[in-house]
Amino acid sequence: MRYRMSVVVLGIVLAAGLAVLGSSGSNSLVIGASQEPSNLCPWEGAADTKENLMGIFNIGLTYIDSSGVLQPGLATEIPTESNGRLVVISDATGQVIRQQVVWTIREDAYWSDGVPITSDDAIFTFQVQNTQEMMVTTRAFSNLVEEIVKVDDKTFRITYGTPNLFYSSVGGSIGLARFYDIAPKHIWGPIYDQVMAQIAAKPENASTIIEGQFLGAPSSTGTGAVVGSGAFEFVEWQINQFIRFARRADFFLVPPGPASNYLQEITVRYIVAQPTLLSGIMAGEIEACDDISLAGMDPAILRAQLGSQAVVEVTASGFIEKLNFNLFPSCQVAADLLLGDKRTRQAIIQAIDREDLARTVYPGATVSNSFLVDGDIGFDAALNPWPYNLTAARTLLADLGWADSDGDGTLERTVDGRVIEFRLHWVATTADFRIRTGEILQEMLADVGIKLEVENLPGSVVFSSEYLNHGSECTWRGIVEYAEAGGVGQAPADPLSNELWANDLLEVPVDAELENTPLPENSFGGTNIMGWVSVEFDQLRADALREFDPDKRSAIVKLMQQLYNEELPTVPLYDRSEIVVKMAGLVNYTKGTAAARTQFWNAWEWGWAQNGAAAVR
Amino acid sequence: MGLGAERCRGRAISPSSLAADSDWGVGGFPSRPGLGSEKAGVGMATYLVRRVLQLIPTLFVISLLLFGLLAMKPGDPIDEMRRGNPGFTQADYDRLREFYGLDRPWYVQYWRWLGRVVHGDFGTSRQFGRPAADYVFKYRFPNTVLLSGLSLLLSFSVAVPAGVLSALRQRGFVDYTITVVSFVGVSIPIFWMGIMLIYIFAVQFRGFLPAGGLATPGVTGTWPILGDRLRHLLLPVLALSSLQVAQWTRFMRSSMLETIQLDFVVTARSKGLSERRVIFKHALRNAILPLITLMGLNVPALFSGAILTETVFNWPGMGRAIYDAILVNDFNVAMVSLMFISLLVLLFNLLTDIAYALVDPRIRYG
Repeated sequence: MRYRMSVVVLGIVLAAGLAVLGSSGSNSLVIGASQEPSNLCPWEGAADTKENLMGIFNIGLTYIDSSGVLQPGLATEIPTESNGRLVVISDATGQVIRQQVVWTIREDAYWSDGVPITSDDAIFTFQVQNTQEMMVTTRAFSNLVEEIVKVDDKTFRITYGTPNLFYSSVGGSIGLARFYDIAPKHIWGPIYDQVMAQIAAKPENASTIIEGQFLGAPSSTGTGAVVGSGAFEFVEWQINQFIRFARRADFFLVPPGPASNYLQEITVRYIVAQPTLLSGIMAGEIEACDDISLAGMDPAILRAQLGSQAVVEVTASGFIEKLNFNLFPSCQVAADLLLGDKRTRQAIIQAIDREDLARTVYPGATVSNSFLVDGDIGFDAALNPWPYNLTAARTLLADLGWADSDGDGTLERTVDGRVIEFRLHWVATTADFRIRTGEILQEMLADVGIKLEVENLPGSVVFSSEYLNHGSECTWRGIVEYAEAGGVGQAPADPLSNELWANDLLEVPVDAELENTPLPENSFGGTNIMGWVSVEFDQLRADALREFDPDKRSAIVKLMQQLYNEELPTVPLYDRSEIVVKMAGLVNYTKGTAAARTQFWNAWEWGWAQNGAAAVR
Repeated sequence: MGLGAERCRGRAISPSSLAADSDWGVGGFPSRPGLGSEKAGVGMATYLVRRVLQLIPTLFVISLLLFGLLAMKPGDPIDEMRRGNPGFTQADYDRLREFYGLDRPWYVQYWRWLGRVVHGDFGTSRQFGRPAADYVFKYRFPNTVLLSGLSLLLSFSVAVPAGVLSALRQRGFVDYTITVVSFVGVSIPIFWMGIMLIYIFAVQFRGFLPAGGLATPGVTGTWPILGDRLRHLLLPVLALSSLQVAQWTRFMRSSMLETIQLDFVVTARSKGLSERRVIFKHALRNAILPLITLMGLNVPALFSGAILTETVFNWPGMGRAIYDAILVNDFNVAMVSLMFISLLVLLFNLLTDIAYALVDPRIRYG
């Protein structure tokens, strides 16, 4: 009897659970994502996964649409010299030294709790951003700001003491990440005041106070009022499970036709393992995924598996997978291999069949020859493509004195009586596609007599500064492979280039220190981990960063790419692709171009065609 | 009947106890005369106090080692920030390292950490912006207890009868079937079993059971929530139990086979007791003891989570929390989790020792 009762109760419970399946609204969307944001604080963390999420319930002063065109978001218009909102101030030599930008916020822009968005919010956002005690992730752009002044309730003026080419691009005005140039003062102001008062009382506990009270504030962890400027409003965050949003009725950007035809609810579910995420899609539990979660999967296989129930969209990611060479003369192993000689790098790029490599390890990716991706200002499509050419590679290596004198298949050369074998150390993370890359490169380079010593290490080791920034001490002895943002004409991604420069010639008087090259003299700081020093490249970069004329800037950037393509301080392998899967019928959920960076830019237009949503993208 | 025999009452009636009601307990262990005496009680109390006090320096050494090992690992949370942000400058990097105190030697950081911990502050999870202890004990630990506890229950409920049945039907069809199924269970990796279960029940029978996760978003009401949670638990519990059931069934079978050949079982049969009584009242109670010991030793591991099952089924438990925290340099979460597991191991060692003293009369403490 008791057994029967147990079965009955279990049956009722399971039936109730099954009933849940059909209970969700039909005008909703469940998005699967592999990475969860750490918090919802606008000032901290700029990882793609967080920015994607913030895009659902926030919008910046500007945004980039799926055609790659910059559009005004919260702003009434994009500041330009022609509309008088951009004023560039040059010195006697004609060099731009300062600039002023005037922004006006739309009259119909409201926070999700109904409070108007004003210039006070913008000024407060900058105030927090510039508070030294605050644990903001980056001040790369806010450091350029000299002052920010309120003109009226809806208008404010930013003065930059150093040229900021990216003043209008997404996240480039004040320096917060995409989608949230402006944070709500009425929510964060009291939190900020309380935190600063506590820090003033106990400055030695500043980090603990900020971690606990600011990053850990209920508005950051989703346990209190989370207010945004975007098309949807925050509903709940079940940590390690999902975040839910509901459509706002008062958002100023509207899709064609009745808003009720479009999504009313969005849930982002966090699923770490790719096979589980894919199973969720196949089971119909997940209706779309973000642009990060299925990285490295073969779109053809996905299409075969999912059939007509889903659409698989492949776009360029804006990230370039590349081989970084150790060019530090102080690393004897690298110096012995003549990695500092551009002919060695030219031989290696020609010994690699990059078409085949990209097709095999990263389906959908396209071979790259630049440090920029297609779509960026000045991208040069006519660079030397360095085709696969074993003969040319062998000739270059022979010219450098390499020969297989002992017939073991590996090249040697003699230096000061020492016999050097061409054993090249290659390091990358343990990502599946990189493990496969190591195997393939080993085979390809063996054809020209280079023995590749493959080492795959956890990402936290490879990207630790103790490892990556200590190439001059030979922590890595040959090549380290990873992907770098290739720049898509927008901040903060556009590096111009983040890694390749050594001297920052922007300062007046010019600072000729190797401040971007990790060396003992600068405590191994800097992002130029290869140790490449090119005065010509640095000068071009400084010129480009001061040039506001798009055509002139484009010409300078092309020269930079030509220099890069000839010198090859890094060997670009391929532009990585991004895969987005969405159920058939989901419209306007698209990135379009690499410039848009993500498909999370237009949540107000997302909808199901079967519910009457119109496809406009 | 003396106290020693009284303690044996719940376990088994051994041939010797049947024969003589003597001081000999199960398996021929002599009962401890005077265990309940005042002297023995004082001895045990002293022993307990000493062991508990020993926990403090032991935990201190463990925390030092753990912190040192984590500090030796290349990378820190700021490196993680830099990786995800192309606009991150060296000045940002230096500023944040100084801010977090990561520019100081590891032992200085350790003392700061220890100073906070003794005041009950385990710091904030840099991965999730919440108090690390709160994150571990509120969002992760209960999920692990639920998953692992149910799995343990299911494994025990299946393995014991299956093992007994297999032993009683030795070399018969049932025995061979159970043996084959057990070997299959032992041979299939848990992650593969998990993926197959998902494929069958979530993909093929679309929507019959969820592919993973803890709950369906937006579900309200007690019964729907309970039903939803059960649906989400079924597959991970099945996957996690598969290996344990297989292993424990083999273990139980072997133990049972050994026990039913012992003299006291023969004696029980010769006294005319029914087969059911002989098996379940006498043999099983003895045969199950090694399995219980094995389970007891496995309990701390149970709390540290089942990383493969949690990953495949997207179950937010302790295993994945520890793994992720170490991987992304979330030191505070890693430390609070690892220290908690260490404490559990120490406590269960202590409990095991106490249990030995209670059940094995030859062992004395104090």
